[in-house]
Amino acid sequence: MLRVSAQVTETEIDLQGVNGDAKAAETGVQYGAELMQFAETFARRDDEALTTARNSLLSVAGEAVLVDAAGVAANFQRMVRIADSMGIPVDDMASELSQSIRTELELTRFEGARNSRSAG
Amino acid sequence: MSYFKYENSPYVIRSDIAEAHARFWENLASPGNWWTGAERVAIAQEVRNALSCEFCASRKEALSPYNFAGKHQHDEGLDEVAIDAVHRVITDQTRITKSWVEDNAVKGLSKGAYVELAGLAVAVLSVDEFHRAIGVALEVLPDALPGAPDGYMPALASEGTGYVPMLPNDGAIGKEADLWGDRGANVLRAFSAVPNAVRDWMMISSAQYLSLEGMANFDSPENRSINRMQIELVAGRVSAVNECFY
Repeated sequence: MLRVSAQVTETEIDLQGVNGDAKAAETGVQYGAELMQFAETFARRDDEALTTARNSLLSVAGEAVLVDAAGVAANFQRMVRIADSMGIPVDDMASELSQSIRTELELTRFEGARNSRSAG
Repeated sequence: MSYFKYENSPYVIRSDIAEAHARFWENLASPGNWWTGAERVAIAQEVRNALSCEFCASRKEALSPYNFAGKHQHDEGLDEVAIDAVHRVITDQTRITKSWVEDNAVKGLSKGAYVELAGLAVAVLSVDEFHRAIGVALEVLPDALPGAPDGYMPALASEGTGYVPMLPNDGAIGKEADLWGDRGANVLRAFSAVPNAVRDWMMISSAQYLSLEGMANFDSPENRSINRMQIELVAGRVSAVNECFY
């Protein structure tokens, strides 16, 4: 979705922001580094680092951005659990875009990939 | 009692988020297809217990999570199989297997009941995690409403994808016509054996992330202070830390 939204808006981005590279995260994405750090510390359940990241995001972007980012982050705590607890495969394993993103982000290293391999 | 006033929040919370959370709390307290209101609230409590359960933390480090003995830290209201299912969905979901789901069915946790349990667990987690993200205390769980589960499962739900029965991707018809359009992605189909689990998921997701219609907007979604790239960067980083292949 990040790549598609970048293509639609004709913005140059670096997908490695998704893998935790702060420099990459700020490429083409306003407050990208702060948003990425907020998401990362939240997902890692590192409370002290989350407080720091939250304050950092607040200081550069304001509370409306923080609240919206918090909603998205909380929502995606759920997605992996839906997929893995129900064992669903990826819908479009064969699509070129989907394959290139999986390769670029090395997603096949994740254990949940087995549900899509077995379905394919 | 009314919930999710966010009066102690240092930040203004969008009204659609508060409304979605409050509506879900009402649904949580009500009987479902396979669980009573009291059992559904007990499932919610186990979501919270799982996050501080020492056995779950130890098991997550074990090479084989299915040969690791111990006891969960838990409350009353559910049997051991259900308690373990909630804790596993919350703390060790990547190692859930089809054989475990089927073994549980033999032990009394039917696949329909498992779908409803997982749907509730992840919805509660999503609401609670929003609170943690903004640094606000969790909402008190609702008082359960009386009534019995109705045992409903859509006639078209069938095995074939994943571990549980699901509607086919063109199967959102009849009483389930509101679940999706012509074709449903697997993530929508996942809980479709319990249609209200899909509805709750979409309701919360529409407020916290984007509605199904809003997902078609790859630029600047309405009623959001972050654009789609910012949204997807946050979503992508959380998913990567969670090792989400889907």
